[in-house]
Amino acid sequence: MQNLLDTVKGPWFIAVYTWREGLRRKTLVGFLVLSLLVIFGATFMTSFINQATVGDVTTDMDLKLIKDICVTTISIFGILITIFISASVVPTEIENRVIYTVLSKPVRRFQYLFGKFLGVQLIIIMNLCLMGGLFFIALYIKQQILPTLLLWSVFLTYFEFLIVSALTFAIACASSSSVLPTIAGLFIYITGSLTEYLKDVYNRSGQSGEWFDTLIGYIAYILWNILPNLQRFSLKTQIINSQPNDPPTDVLIPQLVIYGLIYAVCGYILAYWIFRKREV
Amino acid sequence: MSDKKINIVLLIVFATFIVLGVYQGRRVEFYRECEAFYRWILAVGTQERLFQTSEGEKKSDKFIDLQLFAKLSDKAIPLLLSETKETVLVDSALTNQENFANIIGDISNDPVIWKLTIKKEMRDLREEFLKSLREGKIEFSRNISYVEAQKSGVNIFNLFFGFRKIAASLIWLEVDRYWHQGLLYRMVPLMRTCVTLDPNFVEAYLIGAWHLAYNATAKLIDTPQHLKKWNLKYKACVGEKETFYYLAIDFLKKGIRHNPRDYKLYFDLGFAIYKNKMNDYPNAVRYLTEAVRVPHERWVRRQLYICQETNGQYEEALQGWEDYKKRFPDNPVAPRFILRNQGKIYEKNAQEIIKEAEKVVDEQLKAKMMNDAVSLKKQAREIWQKLKEEENDPYGDYRLLLMDAMELYNEGRYLESIAVLDKARWESPSNFDEVSDLIIRIKQEANLPLTVSEKKAVLRKAEGDRCQGMPEEMTDKGSG
Repeated sequence: MQNLLDTVKGPWFIAVYTWREGLRRKTLVGFLVLSLLVIFGATFMTSFINQATVGDVTTDMDLKLIKDICVTTISIFGILITIFISASVVPTEIENRVIYTVLSKPVRRFQYLFGKFLGVQLIIIMNLCLMGGLFFIALYIKQQILPTLLLWSVFLTYFEFLIVSALTFAIACASSSSVLPTIAGLFIYITGSLTEYLKDVYNRSGQSGEWFDTLIGYIAYILWNILPNLQRFSLKTQIINSQPNDPPTDVLIPQLVIYGLIYAVCGYILAYWIFRKREV
Repeated sequence: MSDKKINIVLLIVFATFIVLGVYQGRRVEFYRECEAFYRWILAVGTQERLFQTSEGEKKSDKFIDLQLFAKLSDKAIPLLLSETKETVLVDSALTNQENFANIIGDISNDPVIWKLTIKKEMRDLREEFLKSLREGKIEFSRNISYVEAQKSGVNIFNLFFGFRKIAASLIWLEVDRYWHQGLLYRMVPLMRTCVTLDPNFVEAYLIGAWHLAYNATAKLIDTPQHLKKWNLKYKACVGEKETFYYLAIDFLKKGIRHNPRDYKLYFDLGFAIYKNKMNDYPNAVRYLTEAVRVPHERWVRRQLYICQETNGQYEEALQGWEDYKKRFPDNPVAPRFILRNQGKIYEKNAQEIIKEAEKVVDEQLKAKMMNDAVSLKKQAREIWQKLKEEENDPYGDYRLLLMDAMELYNEGRYLESIAVLDKARWESPSNFDEVSDLIIRIKQEANLPLTVSEKKAVLRKAEGDRCQGMPEEMTDKGSG
């Protein structure tokens, strides 16, 4: 029992340390402040658009715009924060040589990496909570009803970030500078959002009858299956404006959570694999 | 453990999770496809139940929605019957298609429809749907992410990295700018783009329809009936204003197909367009009834009961208002409308008895029936008196004057009757046209001279409801 506690304690201390370090990063704070400003400003941006139709029955046009702006803001700034933090935690420690001090202590590489990954997740969750919280308050002030669907949307957004974060973290473990993993993280996000396109390629392949065309189709199909498809998380924008108790949404949310977790584990295993071979 | 062994273990674990990821991805994909199928079922079910009979337009052969829905219904009804006998009502007098559309119309059946959608037995139909969707043969699909743009090779869904809802919102800001600049002709295509990018953009449908039906027609003059043209799609005589009304109707119907569980769209179609703009009360009642079948605001019911009353459905309206009063005892409007409908039911029953009595030969029975009618009229009078005194409603005054006038008319005292009617129409301006028509009728019957405006009204009526290109068989039925 004591051994188990020690195994968990080590990563937890590293996670808390990483989290504290993350809070001091100016870039992340800058992104966070910008996103909070946009979310806060969305309520002002939409105030002039509030339209009333027949019989002065007001529509929820402003509410819809606030929701769209805020969800997009959370997605864009959230992913930037995710990529920057995931790409920099390990390379910065290598650059500062802090890693040597930590690894010279009775901490295994597995624990160190897990602690770092956990710390990154804490930062992402804290940022999401701050952005989501402000969005929640803005919506509550506007519609005077607790926007519970928003919580599901933010929850799903986290699992989308989790995939990007895990894969970026894996690349960061192979790099000694945070520039390359940051670019790679952006690339992962863009590619992940365009994975759906591979299915289009597969569906249209083989039309010319050339073997190469068919081969490309099969490769596209295999990649479409293997690569994480972030477009599947588009449900997060869909549920925010939909009716509650929608049967497909109720089924899809847990499925997407499992999907996010599986790819996060893949990313973490890859990170560990790379990191354990690294000479530090 | 040696380094090599650790590498192999890690590789195996990694590969296992990749396989799990692929499996889970396929599961998510399966549910997403089922979701697209489910949304389409709701959309085409709504089309079948609400719009199919009213739309005269011949559907393009390009789309196979209705054929696929027929196949689906034939498969779904036996499945539903075998599994959910207690919860799903199936009328044996209706076709499978109609029954299935009615089941879809009930919001409480949503979980049943979803379960049906993901069944193994539905696999072939689901695949046929997805194949048709890819080939562009499906008209009522909501989820554009599945429609691969075959020609351009660019999927519109990918184009915005999943941010197409914000794109729709930003385009809407442009629509709003054009509205303030008075560039209406630029708004319509942009409004359509908005709802294509985001089919759940309910507000775009609502405000778009409002712009079309109200703002676009604000400065247009009424097209004389004989200059209107028969429209095959709408089965109606259409002038300049009506063209915009029908565009608004089409826009809202599209919204309803994509969002069949949103009351606002039904409400706007029933109240804002059919009631306020087209005075088409049967259709107003129809769509307002749909609005109250899904979660709605409390005022939606009030409009339904008002439209039911205007449409002559006094019993339904009375029942509705009584139910409304039970739910919201503090509402000041309900008691007034309960009295109004009670009074109208008494008057209607009295009229029916008088009509029946006129056919009866037996003098004793006839006298008894007439006494019953008088008694009903007396009860109606009491109601109108109560409405006037207790509820302070001028409508009570109006009905009393109307009853007085009709009694004078029945006694042959035409001039006095007209004088009372003239007072009545100024008491209740909302019934001005109705009373004016009654005055003309009495004047014509009593050979009294008509005023210039009354003569014009008679001439307008003589022209009838005919318009250019109207089929002969439609003349008797009348038109919009």
